[in-house]
Amino acid sequence: MDEPSPTSDPASPTNQFGSLNDLAHELASLEDLASRGSWRSIVDKVSRARSLNLLTRPHDHLIYLSYNVLALSKLRRFADASNEINTLDDFNSHYYKYETYPQLYPNRSGSMIPFSLRFIHAQLPLKLGNRQEGLDRFYLLLKFIREKIKEKESNNLHDSVGIWKRRENFVLNCLIGHHLGDKEFSLCLDLIKDLINRDYLDPVLVSKLGHIQMQIGDIEGAKGSFNRVETMLNERKNDEYSFLSEVQFRNLVNRNKALVYLVGKDYVSAVREYEECIERDHTDVVALNNKALCLMYLRDLSDSIKVLEKALERIPTIALDETLVINLCSMYELAYVNHSEIKRTLNNWIIHVAPDDFDASCTRV
Amino acid sequence: MSSTPQGTHSLAFRVMRLCNPSFPVDPPFRLDPADLFVGEDMFDDPLVASNLSPLLSTHVSTATDSSDMSFADRYLLHHPSDAMGFSDLLLLPQSFGAIYLGETFCSYISINNSSIFEVKDVIIKAEIQTERERILLLDTSKSPVGSIRAGGHYDFIVEHDVKELGAYTMVCTAWYNDGGERKYLPQFFKFVVANPLSVRTKVRNVKETTYLEACIENHTKSNLYVDQVEFEPAPHWSSTRLKADGLLHPADNLSAGEIVKPPILVRSGGGIHNYLYQIKLSSFGSEQVKAKRSNILGKLQITWRTNLGEPGRLQTQQILGTPMSCQEIELQVLEIPSLINLDRPFSVHLKLTNHTEREMGPFEVWLSQNSPHEEKFVMINGLQTMAVPQVEAFGSTDLHLNLIATKLGVQRISGIMVFDTIEKRTFDPLADVEIFVESD
Repeated sequence: MDEPSPTSDPASPTNQFGSLNDLAHELASLEDLASRGSWRSIVDKVSRARSLNLLTRPHDHLIYLSYNVLALSKLRRFADASNEINTLDDFNSHYYKYETYPQLYPNRSGSMIPFSLRFIHAQLPLKLGNRQEGLDRFYLLLKFIREKIKEKESNNLHDSVGIWKRRENFVLNCLIGHHLGDKEFSLCLDLIKDLINRDYLDPVLVSKLGHIQMQIGDIEGAKGSFNRVETMLNERKNDEYSFLSEVQFRNLVNRNKALVYLVGKDYVSAVREYEECIERDHTDVVALNNKALCLMYLRDLSDSIKVLEKALERIPTIALDETLVINLCSMYELAYVNHSEIKRTLNNWIIHVAPDDFDASCTRV
Repeated sequence: MSSTPQGTHSLAFRVMRLCNPSFPVDPPFRLDPADLFVGEDMFDDPLVASNLSPLLSTHVSTATDSSDMSFADRYLLHHPSDAMGFSDLLLLPQSFGAIYLGETFCSYISINNSSIFEVKDVIIKAEIQTERERILLLDTSKSPVGSIRAGGHYDFIVEHDVKELGAYTMVCTAWYNDGGERKYLPQFFKFVVANPLSVRTKVRNVKETTYLEACIENHTKSNLYVDQVEFEPAPHWSSTRLKADGLLHPADNLSAGEIVKPPILVRSGGGIHNYLYQIKLSSFGSEQVKAKRSNILGKLQITWRTNLGEPGRLQTQQILGTPMSCQEIELQVLEIPSLINLDRPFSVHLKLTNHTEREMGPFEVWLSQNSPHEEKFVMINGLQTMAVPQVEAFGSTDLHLNLIATKLGVQRISGIMVFDTIEKRTFDPLADVEIFVESD
C-alpha cells in the first residue's frame, strides 16, 4: 500500500512515467479492466479502493472518480454517473490544482482534472434526455478549450497546444454527432465545414461527410466527397494520414464505392466491392455487415445470415456490435416463424462473450 | 380445397418492408487515454510530454490488437471522428415506417415451412389491393415453386410504385398440398399511403410575362432532400427558373466550399421551400393567341429523396394562369399634342391593332355618352362617329380623332368605343387618358 509521499522531481533524469502505475494507484489494472469491457469490475474496484482508503493523493481520487463515472456511463447508469460528478466542486476550483498541494506536487502546477470528466459532464444530460443543458455544456466546453488554446499559445507550450487542439476537434465531433441524432443536418454540415477550415481535414472525416450526405439524400454531394477521399489516397505522401494503414485506406475507398452502388440499387457491384475489402482485411466488420445487407436485398436471406453468424464466430470482439446483432435478429425474424429459439441461443452466447456495456436488449428476446 | 384455420398451416408468410437501410447515430463514451490517465494540464511540462507520449502510444496500440480478446475499441478513440457516433455499419429498417405517394413500395416475402413434412405443388400469389384497383405483384403458377422441404423457405422481393393515397392491403396467398390435402393460406398485410407534400401556387401577370410562385410544403416525418423541381410548361410556353443570388459567406474557404454545397433540405412536418418561374410565350401569331386563351401554364414535376437516397416523384395537376387580357382589338395612343387649349380642337393620333387571326371591321369609333355619375368634358369635335376600314389579321391601322375640351385643368379622354359593324360587337379597348387643359 502506498504511503503519501511527494512525487519525484520531474527534472530528474530517470523517467518517472515508466509505467501506468506511476500515474495513479494501480492504474494498469483499471486500464486492463476497461480494455476488457469489465465495467462492473471497475465499479467494484473503485468502491473497494475507497472503502479501504487505498487512495492517498488528490489526483488518485480524481482518476478513480473518472473511471467510476465512465464505468457507470458505460453501464447506462446515467443518473448514478451524474450524481457522482455532482459530488465534485466546480472543475476549476483550486482544490483540483497541483499548486494547492506543494508538498505532494513540488514544481507542478495546473489543473489535475482529467479532461474526460469535463466531456462526460457535458454528455450525461443528453443521455438523460435534457438536450438543452447538454448542448449548452458542450458549447461552453468548446469555448473553454479555445481559451485554453490561446493561453497555451501565448505561453509557447507547444505540446499542450497540440493536446488542446485535439480536444477541440474531439468536442466538435461530439457536437456533430448530437446534432446528427436530432436530424439537424444543415448545422452538421456547417460544423464539418468548420472542422475542415481548421485544417482538421482528413480522409476519414471526409468519408463521414460523404456518408452523412448519402443519409440525407444528397447523392451527388456524397460522390464528390468520396472522390475527394480517393484523391487523398492516390496523392498522399509518405507520412500523410499515418493513422490509416494502406489496407485501411484502400478499404475505406472500396467501402465508399460500395455505398454508391448500394444506393443506386446495384447490390451485385456493392457485394463485389465489400468482398475486395474482406479479402484484404478479414476483420473489416463494416464490409462484412454491409455485405450481408446487400445479400438480403438480393433476396439471399440465408447467405446474409451466414455472413453475420460467421463474423461473430470468427472475430467476436470486433463483430460484437449492437447494430450487427440487431441486423442478424431482424433476419432471423424474417427467416423463421419460430425465431425466439434461435434468438435465445444468440442471446446466451452474447451474455458469455460480450463486455459489460453491450446492450443485450438489442436481441429483442 | 379447404381454407384451414390459421393455426394448422404448415406454411406461413413472413414479410418485411425493404426500404433503404440507414446509419445509426449514437454518440458514445469513447476517450483518448491522455484525457483519463492524467490531469488536463499535464502536458504543459514539456519533459512530462516527452515521457508520457511513448507510454500512451504503446498502450493504445497493444490495447487495440484484435487478437487479444479486447474491447478497447469500445472505449478508446481510434480516430477523432469516432466521437460522432455515426456508424458506417448499415442498419436494416426496424419498423414499417411511413410510406408516401410517389415512392416505391418494396417488400421481402418469405414463405416458410415450419412443419416437419415436405409440402408439395406450392403456388404463391401476391397482390396489392386499394380502393380503386388490384395489382398483381407475383404469381408463380406459370413457374411453379414446386415443393418446400421441412424447415425450408422460399423468398421473393416485390415492388410497386405507389400512385394512390389511402389504405392498401398486400394479400399473400399460397396453395399447397399437405399430405394429400390441398390447402389455401391467405395472409393480409395492411398499410396506409399518405401525401408527402402539398404545392401552393400563385400566378401573377406583369405585362407580357407571367410569374409562377410555387411553395412546396413537407408533410412527412423526415427531412426531404429536394432533388429536382422542374416546371414543364404547356406547349408554346417557355419557362426559366429564377433564383436569388447565392449568398456568399466571406469566411468560406474555397476548398471547404468545394466539398460542402448546401443541399435543399426541407424540414419535416411543415417545412417549406419556394420556387419562382418566369414564363413567357415562345411562339407567335395564331399559336400565341390560342395559348393565351387556354390559360394552361404547365405542370410541376418534383423529385425528392429521403433516407439514404430513397427516391420519390410527383407531378402536380395542370397549373392555370389567369387568362391574359386577351384583347382582340387594341387601341394605343401614339401622340397627344403637348398643348391643349380650352375650347380649341386638338387631334389625337391612335393606332388600332387587330390581334386575331381573322380580318376584322369595318369599324365605327365614337365616344360614349355622359353617364349619370360622370360628366364628360372632352368630346369629339365634328362628326360624332368615325368610320375605320377593315383591318387584316394581325394588322393595324392609324386613325386621328378630332377632340375638344370644355373645361380647364386635368381632364380625361374616356369611353372611346370601337364597334365592329360586321360582327356587331363593341369593344372598349382603351383605358382613360389624362390631359391638361390650359386657357387660351
